[in-house]
Amino acid sequence: MLAYIIRRIGQSALVLLIVGLVAFSMFRFVGDPIDNMLGQERTAEDIDRLRAQLGLDQPFVVQYFKFLEGAVQGNFGVSYRQGRPVAEILLERAPATLELAAVSGILAILFGIALGVFTAIRRDGVLANFIMSASLIGVSLPTFLIGILLIYLFSVELGWLPSFGRGETVDLGGWSTGFLTESGLKALILPSITLGLYQMTLIMRLVRSEMLEVLRQDYIRFARARGLRDRAVNFRHALKNTMVPVITVIGLQLGAIIAFAIITETVFQWPGVGLLFINAIQFVDIPVMAAYLMLISVMFVGINLLVDILYFFIDPRLRADRSGGH
Amino acid sequence: MRRSIQLAVILAALAPAAQAEDFMWAVNTDPQTMDPHAVNSTPVLGFLNNVYEGLVRRGKDMTVEPALATSWEPIGEGEGWRFILREGVTFHDGAEFTAEDVLFSYQRASDEASDTRSWFAPVSEVVVVDDYTVDFMTTAPNPIFPGSIANWMIMDSGWAEVNDATLPDKENGNYATLNTNGTGAFKVTAREPGLRTVLEPFEGWWGEVEHNITRAELTPIQNPATALAALLSGDVDFINPVPIQDVARLKENPDVEVIQGIEARVIMLGFPHEADTLKYSSETTDANPFADVRVRQAVAHAINVPAILQTIMRGNAEAVSQLVSAAMQGYVPELEARPAYDQDRARELLAEAGYPDGFSFGLKCPNNRYLNDEAVCQAITGMLAQVGLNATLDAMPVQNYWPELRADNYDMFLLGWSPGTFDAEHPIRFLAATPNEELRVGSWNFGGYSNARVDELLPLIQSEIDPVARQAMIDETAKILQDEMAYVPMYVQPLVWGIRNNIELTQRPDDFFILRWVTVN
Amino acid sequence: MSDFPIPSAPKSRYRRAVESDLFYTFKRSPVAMVSAAVVLILVLAAVFAPLIAPTNPFDPSSLNLMNGFTPPMAPNAFTGDTFLLGTDDQGRDVFSTILYGMRISLFVGVAAVFLAMVLGITLGLISGYVGGWTETIIMRTADVQLTFPSILVAMLIFGIAKGVTPVEYRDQMAIWVLILAIGLSDWVQFARVVRGATLVEKNKEYVQAARLIGRTPGAIMLRHILPNVLSPVLVIATISLALAIIAEATLSFLGVGAPPTQPSLGTLIRIGQGFLFSGEWWILLFPAVTLLALALSVNLLGDWLRDALNPRLR
Repeated sequence: MLAYIIRRIGQSALVLLIVGLVAFSMFRFVGDPIDNMLGQERTAEDIDRLRAQLGLDQPFVVQYFKFLEGAVQGNFGVSYRQGRPVAEILLERAPATLELAAVSGILAILFGIALGVFTAIRRDGVLANFIMSASLIGVSLPTFLIGILLIYLFSVELGWLPSFGRGETVDLGGWSTGFLTESGLKALILPSITLGLYQMTLIMRLVRSEMLEVLRQDYIRFARARGLRDRAVNFRHALKNTMVPVITVIGLQLGAIIAFAIITETVFQWPGVGLLFINAIQFVDIPVMAAYLMLISVMFVGINLLVDILYFFIDPRLRADRSGGH
Repeated sequence: MRRSIQLAVILAALAPAAQAEDFMWAVNTDPQTMDPHAVNSTPVLGFLNNVYEGLVRRGKDMTVEPALATSWEPIGEGEGWRFILREGVTFHDGAEFTAEDVLFSYQRASDEASDTRSWFAPVSEVVVVDDYTVDFMTTAPNPIFPGSIANWMIMDSGWAEVNDATLPDKENGNYATLNTNGTGAFKVTAREPGLRTVLEPFEGWWGEVEHNITRAELTPIQNPATALAALLSGDVDFINPVPIQDVARLKENPDVEVIQGIEARVIMLGFPHEADTLKYSSETTDANPFADVRVRQAVAHAINVPAILQTIMRGNAEAVSQLVSAAMQGYVPELEARPAYDQDRARELLAEAGYPDGFSFGLKCPNNRYLNDEAVCQAITGMLAQVGLNATLDAMPVQNYWPELRADNYDMFLLGWSPGTFDAEHPIRFLAATPNEELRVGSWNFGGYSNARVDELLPLIQSEIDPVARQAMIDETAKILQDEMAYVPMYVQPLVWGIRNNIELTQRPDDFFILRWVTVN
Repeated sequence: MSDFPIPSAPKSRYRRAVESDLFYTFKRSPVAMVSAAVVLILVLAAVFAPLIAPTNPFDPSSLNLMNGFTPPMAPNAFTGDTFLLGTDDQGRDVFSTILYGMRISLFVGVAAVFLAMVLGITLGLISGYVGGWTETIIMRTADVQLTFPSILVAMLIFGIAKGVTPVEYRDQMAIWVLILAIGLSDWVQFARVVRGATLVEKNKEYVQAARLIGRTPGAIMLRHILPNVLSPVLVIATISLALAIIAEATLSFLGVGAPPTQPSLGTLIRIGQGFLFSGEWWILLFPAVTLLALALSVNLLGDWLRDALNPRLR
């Protein structure tokens, strides 16, 4: 078993290295950072000098190994755009994204499960069917358009909610939080709805189909036959049993939330790592792009590893299967 | 208990009114550094103009006026310029401003590590005469020197030394990248790059205060629709730029105002003068038709500039016939006429040049650099196609665009040029002179346009003190460039700012936002 | 071609289709019928766009800039021309651009899903049937990619593909690159389902029998296992199609979509959102509604198909 875990960690590390290599091979197609760093009155000589200073004249493999060498020591380089250590910038921006992701995730889970249970229990009800169809509207429009429409309605037309940013934040030992001020909480509403809508639909549909599956199982029928009240059956027995696949999917969707945060953060000017990444693309800020991609990969590969190892403990049947043998 | 809560709610509702002099402004690009010598770009210099000051500055109408120098005069027969410094000026940290700081800032700004060193190319030596007198010696007579250093900002030598920031560091950054210590009307009290920058008035400023701001906060907002929503909902008091298509609608809105002006930036088309063949043609692979002046003229006649201004620019831009706009020094009124929009004439010229059926080629265009640049290029593509010039449009973000132009990957390209000196000499030096590393000219002349007479005139223009003789040489150069259609200038990009209706301010043509001219009512 | 006995069909294909369970549930589901009708109309409109559209918006020489920003059903102030759904900033007829744009969106969507399907089925069959190291590598890649967000994968692929494409082909390549980017980021679901089903099927007796009579693994996979996994593949394909169309729109917002000279629905929406506040609502509204109708109908169809093909839920 230990061997299995060690092998999986080894595989994960290899994946990370490959992702990094792919990322670095891509950077030279993103553009040239030099023009953003030099003004209008630069000469060709200035360009060459800065390029050499930044090591951009070297092959990407060399640049990659230099990056790895630093990264291993916790040094992700200095942002071309901001002239500050990338690690510092990422740490500064991370709370915004994590808070947004957490709120959207929680909204998606709460509403997803509630609506999923409702639509499963009232399978043939008019309202349940309406919810099922209407929920698809949220996934039939691109996120950026939903965000812009929400801003238009709730900020410009109604004037209820702020149109951009995080509002006021409070600094708690290096972690800037928007949870403690009114404007911070208000600012969270629109972006978290925009970001969580897709996941909510997904969870709702998953809960519904799992519930339907469970509800027709024999033990549920027995429970009903024993005279247990509907509510007890639905929640104590049925819902509980749908939770395992739902939790798995939520775990996997965590990554999607962080990734889609790129778009939500751009639309709402939300000062998180997603916006940082988009800016980094615009300014060809290679150290920031590299660190962001590696960070995201570490996170996803980590989640994946964790899910695998958890499976390994929870469900022995999967062991042979997952370890790749026959 | 309940009563006190109600009271608190009422007080909270009243609170914003009590701090009405809080000013929120949003721009599309965050100033990337707080170092006034590290990057020579409008977002950086425009913002830092509120914090740092130069020896001279530009007024509301762009005239050069005294700032840290109270007066200046030429030395001898154009050997240099003498500046008399203002006494009793202090930096934000309390240090006194003296000639030492001027010398230090000169050394800092003209160093190889600085992006502003081209401003000092004419300077041979800076001499501190006494604490309040500094001489700038120039290699040749330089009539426009005081104006050309209006954006050169003075930094305190002691502060820079203590904080180990004696030179700008673009690569790794240093103390001056994030912190400031100028003499300007505002000091930076908080700086979170990419998020917000907070300014507060500097109590010890030497000048007369016109504004009533107690606190100002700058936020970058990239998505134009979001920025506009922020202005409309009152979350910010000022945005720059306003998307051009929204101008008409905003003007009808009683809560906001639009402030328009003509920016210094001329948008033009460029050609591969030096290339032997076209790069992206499907049939004309053995020649470069754009080397023929008639083909370039045909392009000029084929483009319906009034239509572009009418629709895409919504009547907010002005047509232009030269590399500088009419607001610049050295503009030539006699050459005001643009080639008329005349498709038949264009076809005729093409036929004369030996291309009666036209040809295909590749047009490169940025899609996030100039106002509506991509839409303009699309429109140009259509207009050229109507006379047989079939362009394949390749629009890309600016970070990919400049490398493509440097690698000569174009048959025609779009370029915008804003003369940093507000003088016609500037585009001649950068766009029209034959590229020459040693002389430091022609560095943006991607197409390699070359004319011996222009190259001969440029140094003469630069050193001529007599304004009439100087203008005559600029006239001659402008005539050559127009006759040879070195570039096809099309229009001057507008400046469009949006403000809440309780704000009063002044817009300067260089797109610098000067906070000390703002009043919140 | 086949020497394996196939039971001869006593009824025509048509009769079988009409009498099938699937068709029966279809007839009983008004949502499914309406969705199918909408999809059919939109697909036909897209396919026959050159015949239906009054103008060809992809031909730059036919455009008159002065027609720009004409409202729907109202004559242009300069040219006097009238357009059903108005014109955009380039003077292009919005109705025509929607038809042509939908062609591109649908083409990108269908081709991307097809690519994902072929790739997913092949890799799923192989990893399920062959097992061993092959399976480990394929499924490990799949796991990682499943957790790695699809838009990031697509952006990476777009970046690399755009870089390695010779400059002179870039314009035409954009659409193929989009297909590649979306397709490659979408194969995992197919592979997982097919692999799961293959693992179950490969130990069944008829597969064992086929193997005993000496059929090649390729033939067994294609002829015996594949047909048994088609229904879940169909469901995934339908839902993926909607996702792919939306993904194209999202990529367009991030600046890696179809070029503005040959806009997809997503590019049209990206351009249109710039006119949300300026009063030219038609430039955004009509493409957005079309995209919504298309994606929603496909999603509803996929939803219905999933329930209909899952007998346990009936």
